[in-house]
Amino acid sequence: MSDNPLHTPRALNGRAPDVFRKGAWVPMREYSQNEAVDFVVIGTGAGGGPLIARLAEMGYSVIGFDAGAYFRPLEDFASDETSQSQLYWTDERLIDGANPIKMGSNNSGKAVGGSTVHFAMVSLRFRPEWFQSRTKLGYAVDWPLDWREMWRYYDKAERDLAIAGPISYPWGPKRPRYPYRAHEIGGAAEWLARGAEAMGYQWSETPLATVSAPRGDSPSCVYRGFCRVGCSTNAKQSQLVTYIPRALKAGAEIRDLAMVGRIETNAQGLATGVHYHREGQWHFQRAKQVIVAGYAIETPRLLLNSATDRFPDGLANRSGYLGRNLMVQSNQAVYGRMKEMVRWNKGPPSLTITEHWNYEDKKDFFGGYCWMAQGPLPLEWSAAVSSSRGLWGEALRQKMMDYNHQVGLKMVGEMLPSMENRVTLAEEKDQYGLPITRITYGWQDNDKTMIQHALGEMQRSLELVGAQDIWRQENDTNHLAGTARMGFSAESSVVDADCRSWDVPNLWICDGSIFPTTGGVNPSLTITAIALRTADRIQTLHRQGKITL
Amino acid sequence: MARYKGPRGAAGWALGLTGALTAACFAAATRGGRMARHPATPPRASEPPPSPEKATLAARRLNRSAGTLAASVLFDSAVEHYRGDFENRAMYTPIVTSALALAVSAHGTFDKSPAAHKIRDGVYLLTGVVGLIGTGFHVWNVVQKPGRFIWQNLFYGAPLGAPMAIGLSGLLGFFSERVRDTPIGQTPRLFGLPAGRVIGAVSGAGMVGTTAEAGLLHFRGSFHDPFMALPVTMPPAAAAALTNASLGAARTDRRLTRWWLRATAIMGVSGTVFHAIGVGRDMDGWRNIQQNLLNGPPIPAPPAFTGLALAGLAALDLMEDDSDV
Ligand SMILES: Cc1cc2nc3c(=O)[nH]c(=O)nc-3n(C[C@H](O)[C@H](O)[C@H](O)COP(=O)(O)OP(=O)(O)OC[C@H]3O[C@@H](n4cnc5c(N)ncnc54)[C@H](O)[C@@H]3O)c2cc1C
Ligand code: SF4
Repeated sequence: MSDNPLHTPRALNGRAPDVFRKGAWVPMREYSQNEAVDFVVIGTGAGGGPLIARLAEMGYSVIGFDAGAYFRPLEDFASDETSQSQLYWTDERLIDGANPIKMGSNNSGKAVGGSTVHFAMVSLRFRPEWFQSRTKLGYAVDWPLDWREMWRYYDKAERDLAIAGPISYPWGPKRPRYPYRAHEIGGAAEWLARGAEAMGYQWSETPLATVSAPRGDSPSCVYRGFCRVGCSTNAKQSQLVTYIPRALKAGAEIRDLAMVGRIETNAQGLATGVHYHREGQWHFQRAKQVIVAGYAIETPRLLLNSATDRFPDGLANRSGYLGRNLMVQSNQAVYGRMKEMVRWNKGPPSLTITEHWNYEDKKDFFGGYCWMAQGPLPLEWSAAVSSSRGLWGEALRQKMMDYNHQVGLKMVGEMLPSMENRVTLAEEKDQYGLPITRITYGWQDNDKTMIQHALGEMQRSLELVGAQDIWRQENDTNHLAGTARMGFSAESSVVDADCRSWDVPNLWICDGSIFPTTGGVNPSLTITAIALRTADRIQTLHRQGKITL
Repeated sequence: MARYKGPRGAAGWALGLTGALTAACFAAATRGGRMARHPATPPRASEPPPSPEKATLAARRLNRSAGTLAASVLFDSAVEHYRGDFENRAMYTPIVTSALALAVSAHGTFDKSPAAHKIRDGVYLLTGVVGLIGTGFHVWNVVQKPGRFIWQNLFYGAPLGAPMAIGLSGLLGFFSERVRDTPIGQTPRLFGLPAGRVIGAVSGAGMVGTTAEAGLLHFRGSFHDPFMALPVTMPPAAAAALTNASLGAARTDRRLTRWWLRATAIMGVSGTVFHAIGVGRDMDGWRNIQQNLLNGPPIPAPPAFTGLALAGLAALDLMEDDSDV
């Protein structure tokens, strides 16, 4: 039998890969397809992972489906930028609009563990006011969640992921000490700090989901900087090495290389299970409750594709909001060259941060942004240089010689929701015979103003520390959100505060797509915190008899 | 990668027991003279005259403790400064001086002559001064970094407390030479004070400083293994007991303090084993020795506690030998 995780499922026959030991396995409970399990969770990433683990730990029967492979980081992850494209969702998608989104490495993963297998580990909390951005800050919409409750779930998420962060974080309300100490900063991160000090802004070590000291079977980070192409040491606390092993231990089943194509609903309008493609065939798994956690493109795709006569516009789409309000985050950068050796690729890429403009409201645009130090690997860097600066051949070769002297600052900025930015189904079909998505995106004036503001600020920071040959990368975006907004009413949102769909009472959506607004920080910790809350809410609702199992 | 995940079974029990004993020692030390087995000082008249042999023996023990500290610094600074690429030439200095201090300490440990040795004396003085200068260098390194005295720089900048280990080695060695020089018929004195008390107080203070250093670095490691609590609890208890002795009555049989110092000395040496286990827990463990020896917990560092505990024991000897005259 082939052991290529991209071709043959690994979680089979009562066992799943032991991610911490080469060639080893851990026992895995398996459920029959005819048995209606309590929960089917589609997607095992930042949202799905914690849900599967928590629900299983609460004693429910749970199966987690993922279209991606079950990797063994110690064996499958090469220190090679090109080979790691295996982690990205690279299935065909159509992109259009005024500013089409480049899909793939920068915004979607496909693996057990989801995008967290190759995410950059930046683990930030929302600014509390963002949960009420309409009421408190005058733009977009409010969330139906209370920030104080979220603060408690952030605590939990940070403990579960052993976030390594500063002793005290300069922005926002008090939070408990991070479970692990911040990592050593150097290279580009130190130049961010010096630049921020010169501007009179606060800076901090970035809270990261990679351990600075051993944790269980995870060794401490070795600072080789391959984080965004998969961490081959297991220092990175992705879902693959945290919640998924917990889920297995608690009796959950994981089905890898299992693409869910359709959610079945019955005459009463309730979900009854999922059709999924695995090992060359379509199967049906019965379930009492279905939770979708496929992220902001695949979640609406699946729900749109599950349309029936009763739900002609797709499941949970009475409001017409499904697929709409897609948001990316602006991810523009400014780069420069230092006289000194920098070696910016050593260590996790975003070791320092300034959230100054997330917490400062004297500005001529809505929303906020932060910026972080950068450390792209050589191929990624040469691609950025050649595409943004149009360099090629000898000129590119010469520029690459400066690699170890390069510094860079990259923003993560809040783009505002718009009904026109959306995901729809196209005519074309993919390898499973499912309609592929059309992703339409255009920046709004507010987005453009913020980007220019950020580029100016980042440039000033680099100028103040004496960087030369400064240039701007103006087109990058990352991190998806929206498309299945959480809200206060069935008319203007897809799910309620508990991530339960308004229309189908046993259908839930719990991933980045439920964000009404996306904030000016990376989203995964918020997704995980919401998933932990949802698990607790499910248990409460079950105890109150408001969920039938 | 090692499978070690923290204390289980017997190791867990041992840790618990040590913790309980530490607490007991602390309690006893803070309650004052209760740790003495014979609290009453014998009458001056019945006291035997001060013995030069005993002074020399105590001096040799101090040489041994200075040597232990020097050995710890020698290997530790060699590894750490190699890791720092010997960016500044001055980074060779502690290696040279601690090697010299180690050599003269070995000489002193075996030397039974009752008089100070010029070269030993010189090396110890130099070593003490290097400790002070080294501290200056390390402070300078930290203030160059953005944020200056912030946790980040205390954790990862040049360790502020480390150079004082070599300084203490020099100081203890220097004391040892003074004790050896004690004129016949007199009790050993330093700066006009009873030597045992001074050395006891200095070793106690050294232990507190070393605890601070270990505490800082173990905090950096998030105390991820419960054993990491030992070096921040046992030595302060030893320091408290020792300080208690230094301020208490002379010629007292302080058995508990003695045992506690011995236990601390053993803890220091066994720390190397724990650190070796820690190295094994990093990526690829001992197979990746080149990297993990540099980045893992410093194997040579913990015996600094042993050096100081040995000095404390020598100080107890001095205090028990003579009453303060
Ligand atoms: C390169 C990169 C760097 C990032 N860095 C950071 C960072 O530093 N900090 C941060 O907070 N965020 C970061 N992110 C974003 C973060 O990873 C995502 O926001 C987060 O993982 C989204 O969580 P999710 O649960 O919504 O989806 P994912 O984590 O993407 O999980 C979705 C999973 O569902 C599976 N799936 C989808 N549809 C189906 C289906 N129909 N059937 C079966 N399985 C399906 C997919 O295979 C995937 O594994 C980064 C993302 C990328 C790509
Ligand atoms: S730098 Fe750390 S987190 Fe990133 S890949 Fe290497 S070990 Fe993993």
